[in-house]
Formats: sequence, structure tokens, C-alpha cells
Amino acid sequence: MRLGLWLGLAVYGLFGIVPALANVIVSLTNYSGLAGSTTSFSGLSNYRAMLTTERPGFISALWITVVFVVGVTVVQNGFGLMLAHRLQGGRRIDSVLRVLVFVPIVLGVTVVGLIWILIFDPAQGPAASLLKAFGTSSAFFGATGVALPLVIGVQIWQNLGFTTLVYIGGLKSISREIYEAASLDGAGRWARLRRITLPLLAPAMTINILLAVIGSFTTYNLIYILTDGQYSTQTLGMLAFNNAFGLSANLGYGAAVSVALFVLTLIVALPLQWYLRRREWRITS
Amino acid sequence: MTSLAQTGLPGARRARNYALASRLLTGLLIVLLFFLPVLYIIMVSLEQPAHFLSSPLTPSAHPAVANYSNVWNQGNLGAELVNTIIYSVAAAALTTVLSLLIAFPIARRLVAWPNGLYAFLVIGLFLPLSIIPLFIEAQKLGLFDNRAGYILLHVEPGLPLGVVLLTGFIAAVPRELDEAAWSDGCGYLRYLLRVIVPLTWSGLLITFLYSMLGVWNDIIGPVVFLVNPALFPISRGLFNFFGTNQSDWTLLAAGIVIASLPILALFIVTQRYFIRSAMGGAIKM
Repeated sequence: MRLGLWLGLAVYGLFGIVPALANVIVSLTNYSGLAGSTTSFSGLSNYRAMLTTERPGFISALWITVVFVVGVTVVQNGFGLMLAHRLQGGRRIDSVLRVLVFVPIVLGVTVVGLIWILIFDPAQGPAASLLKAFGTSSAFFGATGVALPLVIGVQIWQNLGFTTLVYIGGLKSISREIYEAASLDGAGRWARLRRITLPLLAPAMTINILLAVIGSFTTYNLIYILTDGQYSTQTLGMLAFNNAFGLSANLGYGAAVSVALFVLTLIVALPLQWYLRRREWRITS
Repeated sequence: MTSLAQTGLPGARRARNYALASRLLTGLLIVLLFFLPVLYIIMVSLEQPAHFLSSPLTPSAHPAVANYSNVWNQGNLGAELVNTIIYSVAAAALTTVLSLLIAFPIARRLVAWPNGLYAFLVIGLFLPLSIIPLFIEAQKLGLFDNRAGYILLHVEPGLPLGVVLLTGFIAAVPRELDEAAWSDGCGYLRYLLRVIVPLTWSGLLITFLYSMLGVWNDIIGPVVFLVNPALFPISRGLFNFFGTNQSDWTLLAAGIVIASLPILALFIVTQRYFIRSAMGGAIKM
């Protein structure tokens, strides 16, 4: 019994906790990861480099991350609520559509990314043909200003199914009787939505908003496929990855960006969780 | 009561029409957003390459089944699919077994500080994926660029969710069963296998499926931990094929379909577990 437990905890510690802590240590060095180079502690110089012109890109990546997180969270939850409201029923078609919106999660980032690269192919893709019909054109994922909204859109497409299902779970937990009582009291469709559905969905909203915020702060695998951070789509996660494994090969600086990203995520997620929980509590009591 | 029913009639019909229209509209929107892209990829995968270049948006007169055999031969898709299956099944199986071995003593309070231990594992849900220290660790521990190492590196990401899920499932198994079995002299592992596994198998299946999906669709892991092309999983194989054959969209589309079919088939068989777990609020925050 002990053996199994310790084995599990050892794997968790070695590949979960240790790397997370080691990030901080690596971030204080100039480790390049290249063979033959010497590594020494460099104090806080990696962190200083972020905020100065020594290594430009951090500040712009920060803003891109903010746009990415806000865009994904707001639109994904808005659409998720809308779809959940329509797909909560017990008809056969409802359950088929529920499965359909979940498919992108199963396909994964590589396949999803390539599908949308093909659709937005500037030469042969259907999106280009559509624009051509209006007498205009775009490089899509290769155009600064266009790429970021598209990346946000694909990220939402990929994860919308899960958000929707969590909201459906929330909707199903609201009892029919409350709606019937409200109808008898003369509450219209809008009033029922505002006074019953949205407040009682608060727990599902907490989960979905936090998942979207934390997820979009840290994710970069889809961006890696779609643009590799080019054309103003370099979020902080992508910046950390590219510094470590891209052309520049600087693991120390990459680790520092990861640590900064983690701290930033906590600064946003913890107060947000506190606020959302308090909101739940206020509504249900 | 009668007056309410009489005045309610036209309003009710209008509400019904409105509901029907909005249901149709949402259904159409979902099909457009989620089914059309998939359908488009299938169509492109069956277009003659020359036909795709001249008129990409219409299907070929004769479906080009040869695209499938060509991409199968030009890429290394067969071997890469086998790699992906080995990696994802092995890692997910290990994750599921270890999650059970951690979750049971926690759920039954057989260890000191069960709540603290549980919280320690929940932290894992929010830890940043520290890919840079993991890369260094993989090299130092001999896990870099080999199958066993790649599998071991993919066990940890699924553990926190697995433990959280299974602790809930085990808590629903009555404790009286433990006591009866203990007094009959049933061993720990035999008890887990004979009693707990059959009673929590849907939780085990969900743990397995989510972990498997994570490994199957991983693209960052194959880029960071593997160098030898013979070890590549299909995600990286497909992405590399895209990198070297950017214009061969018909072949790439066929590759996308081949890479997606196995996981889609698995999803169709097991979809109700995915859907139910997402709707059931498996995650609490």
C-alpha cells in the first residue's frame, strides 16, 4: 500500500513539483542549453532584461497575452452560455450537437491548427475565395493585426465544447419548479433569464471563467502550430518557449519569462477566484 | 385559471415559434462552425492535386483516393501512428494505476494528513508546465529521445486530475465493504482489484481517456523531448510533413484525416463518458 502511494507521489514530485520549483533556479542563471557553454548564476539579470531594451519583446508579449486572455475568456463564455442554453434539451439532435461541439477537443491542437491554416490559406483557402468575392485579400495568419484575432478564434473553437458542457451541467442542476413558480408569478422570458438562470449558474461560471483565464494565460501549443508567435501573436508562454527552444537558445531567460508568467497568472487568478466565489455565496444565500 | 389559459394561447404559440426558430438557427450555426470545416478537410483530401490548384472549393469529378496511399508512403504515418498508440496507451495506463494508488489511501484516510496530501495534488492542476526544467531533467535522467523516457515524462500531467476524480469516486464506495474484506483477510492490492476497480471503473475510464487524449494530442513534448524521427508520434510527424510539403494540401488533408480517425473512433465509442464527466462538474473550484 505504502509502496504504491510513494511511487505515485515520487512521479508527481519528480516531474510536477521539482520542475516547477527548478524553473526559479534556472531563471537565475545564464544557462543556454548548448553543449560546451559555461553556466553561471547571473542573479536577477534575466528579470532586469525583461523590462529593459536589452531583450525587447517582453512588454509587447505582455499586452498580446492580455488581449488573448480577455478575448478568449469573454467570447468563449458568451458563446458557451448561448450554446448551452440551446443544447440543454433531451432531444436526439441536442445530444448529437453536444458531441459535435466536443470534437475539436478530441482532434487536438495539431489537427485543429492545420485545419484552420488550410481554411485560411491565402492562396487556395475558402476564406481567401470569400474575400476575393468582395474584391479584397488578406494573408490571414501571416498578417499582423489579423493573425491575433484569428488565433483567438481558433483557440475558442478548440475549447468551446468543454465550456458549453459545463454550462449545460449547471443549467440542468436548476430545478424546473423554480421556473414554473416564476412563470406563474408573471416573470417573462428575460426576467427568468436574468433573475434565475444567470444567478444560479454562478458555480458553473466560476469554473469556466477560471479555466479560461488560467488556460489562456499559460497555453501556447496552438499558437506554436498557427504562427509560432510571429505577426504579433507572441504571448508570454510562446516567448518563454521560443527563447528556450527557438533560435536564441537561452533557457535561463526562457525560465525567467515562465516564472513571470506564473506570478502574473496567480495575481489575476487568485483575486478572480475570490471574487467569483463571493459572488456565488452572495447569490445563493 | 381558464382566463389565464385563454389569454396565454397566442403568446404561447408565438413563444413556441420563437423557440423553434432560434433552435434551428443555433443548430445551423453549430453545423456551419463545427461540421463544415471537418467536411471541407475530407473533401480536400479527396481532390485531385491539379483540380485543387484550379478550383479548390469544389470536389473532384473522380475522388483521389490515391492521396491517402501517397501520404501514407511519403510520410511515415504508419510507424508514427504506432508510436502514438504505444505512448498514449502506456502513459495513460500508468497514470490511471498511480492515480488509484494515490487516491485510495487519501479517500480512506489511511495516511497521515490526507487533506494536506490532497491539497498538495490539487496544486498540480495549476502548476505551470515547466517545460524548460523538464527538458534539462530529461537529459540528466536519460529520458531524452527514447520511448521509455517519453512515456514516463507523460505520466505526471494526468495525475492531479486523476487523483481528484478517483478520490470522489472512491468516497462513494461504502466503507463497510473495506471492513468486511479486511476481516476476511483480503490483501490490499487484491481488494483494490476485486472491489474498488469494478465499483469505480467509470472513473478509471475517464481518467484513462483524458490522460490518453493529452498524450495523443501533445505537440510540445515531441518537439522538446524527441530528436530521432523514428520515435516521432503522429502529431509531430504530421506537423513536419506540413513544414516540408506546405503546398501539397490534398496530401496533407489526407494525412489529417488518417491521423484523426483512430482517436475520433475511440471518442465516438466513449463519448458519453466525456460528455457526462464534463456536464457532471467533475472539476470544482
